[in-house]
Amino acid sequence: MALAKKITRNLMLAAFGVALATPCVAFAQDTGASVNGLTGNAEAGKRDYRRWCVGCHGKEGNGEGENAPYVDPRPRDFTEALFRWRSTPTGTLPTDQDLYDTITRGVVDTLMPTWRPLTPQTRVDLIAYIKTFSPKWQTQKAGTPITIPPEPPQTIDSVLHGRQLFDQMQCWKCHGPEGRGDGPSAITLTDDKGQPIPPYNFHDGTRFRCGETNSDLYKIFMTGLDGTPMPSFADSLKPQDAWDLVHFLRTLQPNVQSESRNVWLEYVKTHQGQIKPIGAESAGQ
Amino acid sequence: MRTKFFTLLAVFALAGSAVLVTAARPAGGSITGKVTFTGTPPKMKPIDMSKEPYCQKLHNPPIKTQDVEAGPGDTLEDAVVFISAGDQGSAPASTPVRYDQKGCQYIPHVAVMMVDQPLQIYNNDPNAHNIHPLPKVNSEWNKSQPPGAPPIDTKWDKPEFISVKCNIHPWMHGYFVVLKTSHYGTTGADGTYTIKDVPPGKYTLTAWQEHMGTQTQEVTVSGGAATANFTFKAMPY
Amino acid sequence: MNSHSPSKMTNRVVAAVPALILLAAVLFPAPKPANAIPAFARKYGLPCSACHIGWPELNNFGQVFRDNGYQMMNERDSPITRDPSYFPITVRITPQWHRESANNQIVDNVPGGGTDSGTHPGTLTTDGFDLSGLDLWFAGTLYKNISFSVLPSSDSTASFHFENAFVRFDNLLHSSWLNFKVGKFELDLPVSEKRLLTLSGDGGFYYIYHFTPLNDANPFGGIGDNQLGMELGGHNANSYTRYTFAALSSVDGNVGLTYSNGQAAGRTFDYYGHFEQGFNTFGNGFMKVGAYGYFGYAPTFFQTSNTTPIYGRGNKPFSRTGLEWKWYFNKWLVKGVYLHGSDNAFLANGIAANSGPLPPGLRAAKWNGGFVEGQYIISPQWIIIARWETVHMAQQADPSITAGDTGNLNAFTIANRWYPFMFSRAGLALQQEYSFVRSNGVTNQGGAFGTLCTDAGRVFNCTISSSSLMFGFDFDF
Repeated sequence: MALAKKITRNLMLAAFGVALATPCVAFAQDTGASVNGLTGNAEAGKRDYRRWCVGCHGKEGNGEGENAPYVDPRPRDFTEALFRWRSTPTGTLPTDQDLYDTITRGVVDTLMPTWRPLTPQTRVDLIAYIKTFSPKWQTQKAGTPITIPPEPPQTIDSVLHGRQLFDQMQCWKCHGPEGRGDGPSAITLTDDKGQPIPPYNFHDGTRFRCGETNSDLYKIFMTGLDGTPMPSFADSLKPQDAWDLVHFLRTLQPNVQSESRNVWLEYVKTHQGQIKPIGAESAGQ
Repeated sequence: MRTKFFTLLAVFALAGSAVLVTAARPAGGSITGKVTFTGTPPKMKPIDMSKEPYCQKLHNPPIKTQDVEAGPGDTLEDAVVFISAGDQGSAPASTPVRYDQKGCQYIPHVAVMMVDQPLQIYNNDPNAHNIHPLPKVNSEWNKSQPPGAPPIDTKWDKPEFISVKCNIHPWMHGYFVVLKTSHYGTTGADGTYTIKDVPPGKYTLTAWQEHMGTQTQEVTVSGGAATANFTFKAMPY
Repeated sequence: MNSHSPSKMTNRVVAAVPALILLAAVLFPAPKPANAIPAFARKYGLPCSACHIGWPELNNFGQVFRDNGYQMMNERDSPITRDPSYFPITVRITPQWHRESANNQIVDNVPGGGTDSGTHPGTLTTDGFDLSGLDLWFAGTLYKNISFSVLPSSDSTASFHFENAFVRFDNLLHSSWLNFKVGKFELDLPVSEKRLLTLSGDGGFYYIYHFTPLNDANPFGGIGDNQLGMELGGHNANSYTRYTFAALSSVDGNVGLTYSNGQAAGRTFDYYGHFEQGFNTFGNGFMKVGAYGYFGYAPTFFQTSNTTPIYGRGNKPFSRTGLEWKWYFNKWLVKGVYLHGSDNAFLANGIAANSGPLPPGLRAAKWNGGFVEGQYIISPQWIIIARWETVHMAQQADPSITAGDTGNLNAFTIANRWYPFMFSRAGLALQQEYSFVRSNGVTNQGGAFGTLCTDAGRVFNCTISSSSLMFGFDFDF
C-alpha cells in the first residue's frame, strides 16, 4: 500500500513538472513552423542556429556572419523575409515546406550545404527560429502554393512551342540564345544587394539551386526568384505554355538526360537549315 | 402654444444650420510652391541604349539619367510634396494610376498614388521588360511583361517610397511614391507643384526628391492659396 | 595522432600495460587525438561547431562530409573552386600541465642505491608542464571526388611518423555507396579514437582498442592502431546507413613490412568490416547501432636467412569483434562499445606453430570489454565527458593462471572541455581531466616486486592503479 502511494505521489510530481514545463515550451513558439507533422520550436532552433548557421548568416540573421565577406554568393539576409525558392507567387512569403526543402537540399554552386544530416526535427526548429528575424512573418501569411498541372508528354511539338516562347518572352536577353548565361543583359544583372549575379547557365548546369526535376524548373519561372533579376512569368504564360517552355529548356542541357533533349536532337538531324536562330526576330539583336 | 412653436422653430433652425455647416464647407484652399536647389547637383549622363536597338533609335540624341531633373532657375522636376501631418483624412482613391514603359523609359519617372490605389503598368515597347519594384516595407515582387502582354494590375498597402527597375534594361529607373494622404502634388518641368482641395488648418508638408532626400515645412491654409517653397542643398555626387 | 605509448611498445611491454602507463606518461606525456581541421572551416566558411559536436569529435553533419570524401557535394569542393592561396593544412598541439601517478611500482629503498639497497613497492608520482605530440595535417580534395589525407605526427620530442597517408576515390559510379581508399588510415571504428575528447595519459585512448592479455605474443597493437591497406566503404545520403570493408596488411600499420617491434611480417591480410544503422528517435534524437569485426593473422615463427628473419610463417588467427550503440538527444550523447577479443592459443602463449602440438591445457585467450561514455553538451563551446571502461578476461590462455581477474582492467575518466571561442579559422580548447585506471596482475617486474606479485604457482593477484590529472591548452589552426 505504501509503495502504491509512493508511485502515485511520484507520478503526480512528474505530471506537475511536465505541466510547469509545457507553458514554457508553448510560449517559445511565437511564429511557429510545421512540416511533415513536426512542429518547430524557435528556442531549440536558436541553439541549433548558433551551432550551424551563425558563421555565414550572422547573429542577427542579416547575412553578415563573420564569413560573409569571403562567401560568394552572399548568405541570405533573413531580416528581409525575401526568399528565392518558393512554391508561392512572387511577392508572397514561402511555405514552411519551401524553407524546409531549401535547408534539406542545400544550394548547389554556393557554400550553403545540404543539411540533410540534421534530424528533421532540427531542421523544423531552425525554420521556426529563422522566422523570428523579420516582423513580416507576424503580419503576413505564407502565399498559396501555385497549382502545377500534370506534366504533358515531352513531344517535339511541346519543345518547339517552348522554343518559340523562349524567343518571344526574350529569355535569351539574359540567358543567351543557347542558354549559356551570356545574353546581352547578363553582365549588368545585380541582385537586391547590388551584387553581380549571373543568370543560370543551362549549358553547364545540371542541378538548379532549388531542385532538379521538371516541376522545380516549372516553379522557377512561374513564381519568379524574389530578390533576383529573375521575374515571374505567371501573368504571361498559361500552364500548358509553361510546360512547353520546361521541355525546351531541358534541350539546352547536354549534361542532363531528358526525353526532351533526345526528341530535339532527333529533330535537328532531320530539319537542318529549317531552324531559325533564337533572337533573330526580336528588336534588333 | 407660441412658446412651443418658437421652440420647435429654434430646434429646426439649429438643426438646419448644423446641416448647412456640415454640408457647406468653407471654400477649399490649396497649397502651391516651387521646389528649387542651391549648389551644384550631380551631372546627369546620357543613357547608352545600344543593348536595345529599338529604344536606341527612338532617343537620338540619347536621354539623360533622371536622378536629378534640374530645370532653368535651379528648379527640380518630379519632386513630390505632400501633407505628412495634420491631414484631416483623405478618401481612398479608386482611379487607377497609370505607369508606362515606353522607349525603355518609365513614364512618369515618379508615379504617386495612395495606399491601396490601383496601379496599372503598361508595356508599350515591342521588347520585353520586367517590372521589379524594390520596396522594404511592402512586399517585393518581380514580374515579366513581354510585348503585347496585358497591363499588370497591382496596388501597395503601406506608404513607402519604392524604387523600380528593369533587370533587362539596367538604365531604367523610376519610383512609386505610396502615400496615406490624397493631398499631394508633383513638380512639373518648371519646378512648381499644386495641392488642391485642402481644408483650412495647420499642416506639415514634406517635399521628397529621390536623390536629395526630404524636407519638411509647416504651412497654414485658411481658405485661399497657401505657399510653401522648398530649397534643397545639392551636392555634386 | 594518438601518440600514446601502446603503439610503440614491444609486445612484452604492452602486456604490462599498468606499469608502463606510468612510464609512458612520463616519457610520452599526454596522448593527443588528431583529427580536427580548421582548414575545412576556412574552406567552407563554417564554424567548427557545424561539423563537430566539439572538435575533434564529429557530429552527423561532419560524418557525412567525411564520408563524402571531405566534400559538401555542392560543386565547390574541387581545389579549383578555391582561391589559389587556400592551402589545406592544419597544425594541432596541446601544451599542458599534468600529473601522473602509479602505485605498486619498484622503488629503491635508498634513492640512487639501485636494487642492491633493496626495493619495495611504492607509489611514484611526477608532475609538471609539458607538451603533447604535434599533428601536421593535410587533408581535402585533390580533384572532384578524389580526396586525400597526409598526417605527419610527432611525439613531444618532435620525432615524426606518418599517422595516416591515403588517397580515396569517392562516389565511384556516381554512387555514395562505393568509395575506395588506399594507404594508411584509421579503421572505420565504432567510435573514432583519433577524435577522442579526452587527452590525458591514462584517459586519452580506449583501452579495448589496444588491450592484449598478459604474456600474449601477438604483435597486433589493437584496432585503435591505424592500418595499411585498402578500404571499400559506402553510406546513404545522410550517413544513417554506413558500411566499410577493409583488407589490410598484417603489419599493424607499420611501414617497411615489419611490425613496430621490428618483427618481420607474415605476408598475410587482415580483414575489418563495420556496419552501422542510424534512425531518428523522438524530438531531435538520433540513435545508431552497429557491429564490427577485425579478423587478423600474426606469425609465430619466421623464415630466416642466416638466422635473420625475412618473413613470418606459422600465421595464426586472432579476432576483435563487437557491437556499438550511440544515442544523441537534446544536449546528451551516450555511446557504448562492446568488444570481444580472441587470440589463437599459439599467439596467446607465445609458442611457435612449428614446435609441435600445443602443450596440453593451453588455450586461446579470450576477453570481453567495453566502455560507456556520456557527454553533456552544454553548448557547442562547453562539453563534459565521463567514461567508464572495463576489460575482463573470459578465458586465460595459460590455465595455470587461476585468478579470475588477472589481466583485467577498469578505467574511469572525467573531463571538462571548454572552447573560449567557436570560430571558422582556428580553435582553442581548455581541458581539465582526471583519469584513473586499475589493472590486475602484472609480470616481469622482478626483485622484491616479483615476490609481491608472483609466487611459484604463478598466481597473479597484484593490482596496479594509475591516475592522470591534466590541465591542457589544446589549440589548432
